[in-house]
Amino acid sequence: MSRFRQLEDFRPEAAEWELLPFRFERLNGRVLVTNMVGEHLALTAEEFDQLAEKRLSIDSPLVRRLRAKHLIRQPGDRSPSTLLALKARTRYRRLAESTGLHIFVVSLRCEHSCPYCQVSRQSSDRERYDMSPETAERGLEMAFRSPSSAIKIEFQGGEPLLNFGLIEEIVRRAERRNRDEGRNLGFVIATNLALLTDEVLEFCARHDVNISTSLDGPADLHNKNRPRPGRNSWELAVEGIRRVQEALGIDRVSALMTTTKASLDRVREIVDCYLELGLRGIFLRPLSPYGFAIKTKSYSAYDAERWLDFYREGLAYILELNGRGVPMTEYLSSVILKKMLTNREPGYVDLTSPAGIGIGAIVYNYDGSVYASDEGRMLAEMGDETFRLGHLVADSYEEIMTSEALLAPLEESFAPSAPMCSDCAFEPFCGSDPVYHYATSGDFLGRKPESDFCRRNMAVFKYLLEMYESDASARATFLDWAG
Amino acid sequence: MPDQAASVELTFDAAGHSVDAIQRAAYRFSDRVSCEVVSGETEHRCILTAVGDVDPCAQVADFRTEVLDQVLRERIRAETEPIRTMILAQAFSKTGVVDPPGPA
Repeated sequence: MSRFRQLEDFRPEAAEWELLPFRFERLNGRVLVTNMVGEHLALTAEEFDQLAEKRLSIDSPLVRRLRAKHLIRQPGDRSPSTLLALKARTRYRRLAESTGLHIFVVSLRCEHSCPYCQVSRQSSDRERYDMSPETAERGLEMAFRSPSSAIKIEFQGGEPLLNFGLIEEIVRRAERRNRDEGRNLGFVIATNLALLTDEVLEFCARHDVNISTSLDGPADLHNKNRPRPGRNSWELAVEGIRRVQEALGIDRVSALMTTTKASLDRVREIVDCYLELGLRGIFLRPLSPYGFAIKTKSYSAYDAERWLDFYREGLAYILELNGRGVPMTEYLSSVILKKMLTNREPGYVDLTSPAGIGIGAIVYNYDGSVYASDEGRMLAEMGDETFRLGHLVADSYEEIMTSEALLAPLEESFAPSAPMCSDCAFEPFCGSDPVYHYATSGDFLGRKPESDFCRRNMAVFKYLLEMYESDASARATFLDWAG
Repeated sequence: MPDQAASVELTFDAAGHSVDAIQRAAYRFSDRVSCEVVSGETEHRCILTAVGDVDPCAQVADFRTEVLDQVLRERIRAETEPIRTMILAQAFSKTGVVDPPGPA
């Protein structure tokens, strides 16, 4: 008689495994299956049928893969549900933290006259277009009412360096206040660098202020996009980037590009321009449908498909560079890959659900108006105040954060309960963008089958997954970007 | 070239296809065809009408596949609803929904 019971004796008597909640989408003969927190597998159609029809034996290698991704479990096994709960809590942790990014529009004035710019005034009227110290103080009060352990204050414009004195004042006051508060406090100036001075650099060095700038690529492209007196926007931006790198450090300046129609055939040159300046990351983002970008028809100059070609070509080139040992990150892909391959929520406000408006980032405008997002204030500059949450002087923190102007778009656009999104396998990687959908379709939710936001994101998700599955070199780079 | 039909009618067995599954599929196709669902006791009639210059006949096979996928999604949702609720409860509460307090 054997001393040990047979293997079969240890198998469960009832059904051998049961489904955990999952969603699926068919992609070119494969089926993407994602669980509640975005862990996923790409199955063959046959494998998917076996899963759906429960034709898999517990010994099957596929069952092991499905269990590892928390798509099925053995009856009575509680660890998958505990782990899924823990991962879900991790993904939504930002909600308890609330607003971390506080944008101070210290001046609406700008010396540039970019045709697609949503918000700027070429004016010397400081009284009318600059934020006052009193308004700034109210903004700081509001920022420190946020329960967030990390507070980032970003100075925007117009051109914020036109009101640099106020930036200094806000930074000093915030630092003073933070001696008691002990938050993780950070500062960023979003500037075109045309007005950069040694005084600004010294201040930034002393107070750990980072710089974010605009760089659209080679000189002719950048200068065409960004006209200013002297037609030297690119020269000033490049000189400024080098000065910041020298004075503050190579990683203290980052750049954002705007994709106009003229950019579409030149993505390699654009990436090369960033590389030559020592910028190791680029955000291949499309134009937003707000403000002057609509008025000047810049937004309608190309469609989602054309932007996707631009993105795919750019990403392929960046992957090629990484394969040759030249480190370079594409930031949109990096955000999405973090969501696909880890349980961390990167907090990129355009790809979170609930949406990032108000609860991820909030805008204090030069005149004291509070907006749910930068795009919300852009709409306001065109006369639509839908996303105006209140006023720093007239309204309290509670009134602003519980205003209908904030809660209605957050609730109505919540992806897990939105038509089509609620059963979309890509939903854990995606987000809600009520401002975009309001601007393009007139409601906070939008009709997803007709939404370029949806079309663009789905295409990017599919492309990244395809590359991840089929290209070992891309996979290694993606894992690196996802961290 | 022959004129394409402006609309096409499909039927789905009511025992195997819920109106909800057909409506969800119709929503996914709403950029290509509009869909009118007439539900009866034994079958649901579904009239697909072109949006723009789309040929509704060319959408039929994909539409039927999508309806079947929606039926499957419906079954998965129903089957996993209790554990989904339990996982979310566990994630967002500290009330011991999953593991009631008891002797260690």
